[in-house]
Amino acid sequence: MIQKFLEWLKHLFVVSERHAQLRQYLLFKDLNAHQLQLVDNCLHNREFKAGETLFETGFPLEVLYFIAEGELKVSGASPSEGFQTLKKHDCVGVADLFAKEKRSGTATALTDLSLLALSQTDFWDLVNKNSALGVKILSACCRILGRQITDNGPYNQA
Amino acid sequence: MNWTRIVFIFMMLAVIVGAFAFYGPVLTYLLLSVVFAYVFDPVVTWLECKRFPRWAAALLVYILIGAAIAWSTARFVPRLIQEGNQFITLLNRSGQPLDETILQLPFIRSAYDFLVNLDAKIPNINLADKLLNLVSSFRTRLGELPQLLFQNYQTILSTVALVFTIPIFSFFILADKPKLRKAIVSLAPNKYFELTLILLNKIDENVGRYLRAMLLEMISVSIMSSIALTIVGVPYSVLIGIMAGVTNIIPYVGPWIGGAVGALTILVTGQPPVMILWVALAMFLVQALDNYVLYPVVVGKTIKMHPLVVLVTVFAGGYFGGVVWMLISVPLVFMVYSLISSLQKNLKQFRLL
Repeated sequence: MIQKFLEWLKHLFVVSERHAQLRQYLLFKDLNAHQLQLVDNCLHNREFKAGETLFETGFPLEVLYFIAEGELKVSGASPSEGFQTLKKHDCVGVADLFAKEKRSGTATALTDLSLLALSQTDFWDLVNKNSALGVKILSACCRILGRQITDNGPYNQA
Repeated sequence: MNWTRIVFIFMMLAVIVGAFAFYGPVLTYLLLSVVFAYVFDPVVTWLECKRFPRWAAALLVYILIGAAIAWSTARFVPRLIQEGNQFITLLNRSGQPLDETILQLPFIRSAYDFLVNLDAKIPNINLADKLLNLVSSFRTRLGELPQLLFQNYQTILSTVALVFTIPIFSFFILADKPKLRKAIVSLAPNKYFELTLILLNKIDENVGRYLRAMLLEMISVSIMSSIALTIVGVPYSVLIGIMAGVTNIIPYVGPWIGGAVGALTILVTGQPPVMILWVALAMFLVQALDNYVLYPVVVGKTIKMHPLVVLVTVFAGGYFGGVVWMLISVPLVFMVYSLISSLQKNLKQFRLL
């Protein structure tokens, strides 16, 4: 308990490395330390080997992935839709989160990948239970989706 | 053949079996701790959203629960003690031997008189003697109680200690829920990662909602029963009302227990037997309010199981582990049921089946 209290005191005055890392993502850029802590409570670390498939077209959409290290390729349902390479600090799944319940593309690791994963249930919980955090995250989502529309490509999110 | 993989799987299985054998004796307490944590999780999460660190939010909830218990103890326990003392005095009045006292209880007395009459009419039946033997054996059993308690004091002490550890287990589950969740999810291979999250969220949603609804229903039925029994004029109404509320969460069987205790109290305290009808009417009204207003609104569609399955589950739980398992068997089976139905649907969607 004392250790937890000291950790909490430290967090009040020092910006943690983890929070600084989270602010690199467009979705979490505007969040304060408390809001980042709430988000961090819901994030899961995942490692994928090069060539491993993260998800396939038509899979249920449950997780938003945030790339911490490495590169991945997201290809559309048909070859005509092309593909997009995503790098460190990009995120995968934002467009599908608002559009449909299933994945619209297939994601494959191009290199060894280190990812942060956020369940969409936790995402909507965070948005619904914290209005200030919700406004910031949904604004960021609008920016990401706006960029995608102007770039006219399904996976340009960075 | 990948021998390393096979050896690893066998080792994991051995660890799981070993863990079940080791933690088996405290499994009930762990499950109760999880139930306790589920009930208070929304409050802790809400406080966390209001800038409380999670551990401080859990601590504050515990302080608030402690304060509520202290307040209700100060407010209601003197009356409960008074009612309990009156009951004990009733059993021990005029310093008579216990079996004579029992025989003086109005309904036992009338049953005894009836059997004496019956014995006079039908030769060699001796039912009155059998009733006296029954009362005598009850007294003997009651006399053995202190000895039984003394002989099993170690078991009793360890059980009491474990009961007190439930809030401690629950505190750690509440305070470190995100860490525990991450630890569970981290065990899932990448292929099953999203599926694991879907299943965990499903359990969280269904079981949490069901348990919180049951708690609210229990409190409401306790209050309604206490009020109804007080209006009817039943002695020990608060005590019986609380008992009715607690037992009400055992589906189908529970609601009868409160009514039966109320009726028994009427008989034991020598109230006019017609009062039983009033108790039955009061409990019927409480049950009608519970079944047609409270349950659909509060518990509603949180649980979708066939009544027969619920009934069989309650009895199986009672047979397996007594009253505690009667209480936790339905949510536990419902959790497994929703897990399997969700698993079946999602395994197909993830093309794993």
